[in-house]
Amino acid sequence: MTQDFEFLNRLGVINVAGLIKIAKVVKQRFSFSVSIILGILTACLAAPLLAPYDPYKIAAGLPFLGPSRAHLFGTDDLGRDLFSRVLYGGRITLLIAIAATVIALVLGTLWGVMAGIRRGWVDEFLMRTADSTMAIPQILFALVCISAVGASVISLPLVVGFLLSPTTARMARSAVVTELNEDYVVAATASGLTRNRLIMTEVMPNIAPQLLVQLSINAASAVMLEATLSFIGLGIQPPNASWGTLMLQGYAKIWNTSWFVFFPALAVTITILAFNSYGERIRVSLDSRKSSS
Amino acid sequence: MSTTSVVASLNNVTRTFVSKRGDVKALDEVSISLQQGKTLALVGESGSGKTTVARILLGLDQPDSGSVNILGSELGGLKHEQMRLLRKSIQVVQQDPYSQLNRRHCVERIIEGPLLAFNVGDKISRRDKVISLLKAVGLEEEHLRRRPHELSGGQCQRVAIARALALDPKIVVLDEAVSALDVSVRAQVLNLLRELRDELGLTYLFITHDLGVAHYLADEIAVMFRGRIVEQGDRKDVFIDSKHPYTVDLLKSVPLAVPPDEKRQNNMDVQTLPSPNPTDACTYRSRCTVGRDLAQCASDKLTFTKGSPTHLWMCHFPVGGK
Amino acid sequence: MKPADNKLNALSVRNLSVSVPARGGRVLAVDNISFDLPIGKKIGVVGESGSGKSLTALALMRLIKDPVQVDAGEIFMGGKDIMKLSAKEFLPYRGGEIAMIYQDPMSALNPIMRIGEQIIESIRVHSPMSKQAARKIAIDQLGSVGIPEPEKRIDSYPFEMSGGMLQRVVIAIALSGNAKVLIADEATTALDVSTQERVLTLIDKTATERGLSVLLITHDLGVAAQYADEILVMYAGRIVEHGQVQQVFSRSVHPYTRALLDSKCDYTLDVTKPIKSIAGQPPRPDNRPSGCVFAPRCDFAEPACSASNPLLSAHGDAMAACFRADELIFNQEVR
Repeated sequence: MTQDFEFLNRLGVINVAGLIKIAKVVKQRFSFSVSIILGILTACLAAPLLAPYDPYKIAAGLPFLGPSRAHLFGTDDLGRDLFSRVLYGGRITLLIAIAATVIALVLGTLWGVMAGIRRGWVDEFLMRTADSTMAIPQILFALVCISAVGASVISLPLVVGFLLSPTTARMARSAVVTELNEDYVVAATASGLTRNRLIMTEVMPNIAPQLLVQLSINAASAVMLEATLSFIGLGIQPPNASWGTLMLQGYAKIWNTSWFVFFPALAVTITILAFNSYGERIRVSLDSRKSSS
Repeated sequence: MSTTSVVASLNNVTRTFVSKRGDVKALDEVSISLQQGKTLALVGESGSGKTTVARILLGLDQPDSGSVNILGSELGGLKHEQMRLLRKSIQVVQQDPYSQLNRRHCVERIIEGPLLAFNVGDKISRRDKVISLLKAVGLEEEHLRRRPHELSGGQCQRVAIARALALDPKIVVLDEAVSALDVSVRAQVLNLLRELRDELGLTYLFITHDLGVAHYLADEIAVMFRGRIVEQGDRKDVFIDSKHPYTVDLLKSVPLAVPPDEKRQNNMDVQTLPSPNPTDACTYRSRCTVGRDLAQCASDKLTFTKGSPTHLWMCHFPVGGK
Repeated sequence: MKPADNKLNALSVRNLSVSVPARGGRVLAVDNISFDLPIGKKIGVVGESGSGKSLTALALMRLIKDPVQVDAGEIFMGGKDIMKLSAKEFLPYRGGEIAMIYQDPMSALNPIMRIGEQIIESIRVHSPMSKQAARKIAIDQLGSVGIPEPEKRIDSYPFEMSGGMLQRVVIAIALSGNAKVLIADEATTALDVSTQERVLTLIDKTATERGLSVLLITHDLGVAAQYADEILVMYAGRIVEHGQVQQVFSRSVHPYTRALLDSKCDYTLDVTKPIKSIAGQPPRPDNRPSGCVFAPRCDFAEPACSASNPLLSAHGDAMAACFRADELIFNQEVR
């Protein structure tokens, strides 16, 4: 693993020492939202350890119980412990959301950078494609795709990731175009750098912070999209349950108890808020650094 | 007289920038030549075309007509990779000390950049080279790990110079390289540039709007106005025997840091400078105290008059007669 | 420092200090400066980066905003200490008594408003009148700042005009409130030499016609020499020399002023010798030496210089902040 990093390090794509420094800065500066995100992530990852009950175990308690010491979030219509269900559900939601975010980032960056460096008709074509993708109603598009390939832990990230990539593409393109107009690019070109090397070693490190902001905001949107899709039945199907599926089930039983829908919804809300606020904090700190320099 | 070879030249280069608001002729049949070990200063105001000359010489822009020659190779006919290899011989230092350095890289990486671009040597030999370059520009090893925003303007400019020298180029293009520096720092950097030039036998193309700097560094000075060279010569030619009205006006306009004399108060001309008339043969005519009312300056095409082996000018009514 | 006398002086600054945040607290970017701007005179404020000259100008306009703060100081205009006025009370002063023009005319003007609208807006803020009346005045003012065909130009947008023209528009706006003091902060730095000459002459002429007092802030020694009556030399937040322009440029007292003048590069220099530069660089606000700020770079520094801070005091016909000033004047004259 370190060998791979070293190779990438030498290529100049990733600077390992730099990454460690970034990680430290990230940890120091944005403690509140980061701790929320990390908290939720670890809680869900550690679901097998933390969950007091098997999420599939029917009749772990009486159905429709409210929050209590035995059942922190209460129970659902089949008596399953909601706390355990939310924890396990979080694993699925977050897994899909993070996968989708990564896909959106990679696809969007490639898309935008290609447009930014080529300009001309390639740029036009790529950006108009991005615009058209953004113009399509997301749920409708998801419906069409998922009815074709079915909903799964593979298809959902791909669909959601694709839907989120155009915004990343636009941002990446505008960032690349701005950087390419800078003096240091002129200097690098005059130093004999090939165009590809220039993009990888000189430009990318400068647009990385903006991509990080986009990553965070995309993560929030991905969680929202996944939850929405599952809520309308296009996402994860029972007996597996993501937060959206839980909300769907809880919504159906809302007259029996409102706790069932409340807790997964709360989880979704807090996660989205945390990701958004983290993204905002980075953006603000980037802006302030730019204006003070 | 020793034969000095021409290391680079622009020959009759014309470059027009097309835009929706009208075409701008940035360069109009401009020819310059750089002699080995000598410094040519291009002096002019904004819009004179001096920056375009630099860009074309660096291969960052192509002339619409005319040719560019570096160390015997015509730039127009070169393929991408050939051009890239030629870049080893001609480097640039730009005006803004901070923006010409990659703010995400440390000083060591910045200076190493050109070496990495051509895969020169190995990590150890590159580091040695970087350190020797650093010392040559007057910086210390402690600066290696710093980022541009942690350095002063003068220090950044030194890093830029070190980077420009990494590949042992023959020619260095300095595009307003000291204009953004404080007065006292400017003096340091000018001294440094002079030392390096003398020590390494470099050829400089120094682009500046500052006549004082041009005077100090240059062996030859070319005064440009709106895409043309209007006067060219050595220091004495341009500063003492100036022939073109623009050169004379420029020299008069520069405020000197000496106690003011009474004469200055009498020049009460406050109007905006007249814009040039595109149909005039001489682009300076609308501003020229001599040619403003003369029909010849509007109609007759200009060619260079050669006053001495070093002194050229382009004017129908030069100062002091023909 | 003599107490402020508003019959002689358009502006009197006493003990002005401005602080900026730094690692471990705040540091003074402008350190206890005092000076008078006599009515009808032009003072050239000369300094390099970190000298505090721009912050001084902003303080005079009360445009200092968080995180920068004015720590102390009195600024007297027309007999009143403007620092003690409330924000509301000060509003008519800004533009009405004291006006400022900056380096970049493009960013000083609103790019989506015609220049005429911007001048008219400024006129009407300071003297209520109808738009038509203001328009007439605006056209006059454009003409008086040297813009040809002002009746046509008044409807242009900023992007349609050159830098020199825009700076003239900015001057017209600045003077539309009939200010008594004009601050020009690097106002001609971005202009070509030929345009610079004309704009500076314009400021000169206008100042004489209207009895304006001008604070000309510049890093260009030549500009200060040719267009100012008095010179204030600032270094690292302090005034190190203050004198008449003739004196400062022929017989400067403070070692920094002398070193600065020696390091300038104009076409009268001897090209065979290296330029006499000052070693090192100006200190950043958080990095200032104790004692005399210039001591680390001074050719004449002695141990006493780093021990305490020399105050601006009279030495002959000049004011300088240097312990060895008298000694150095004497040596210079002996030479």
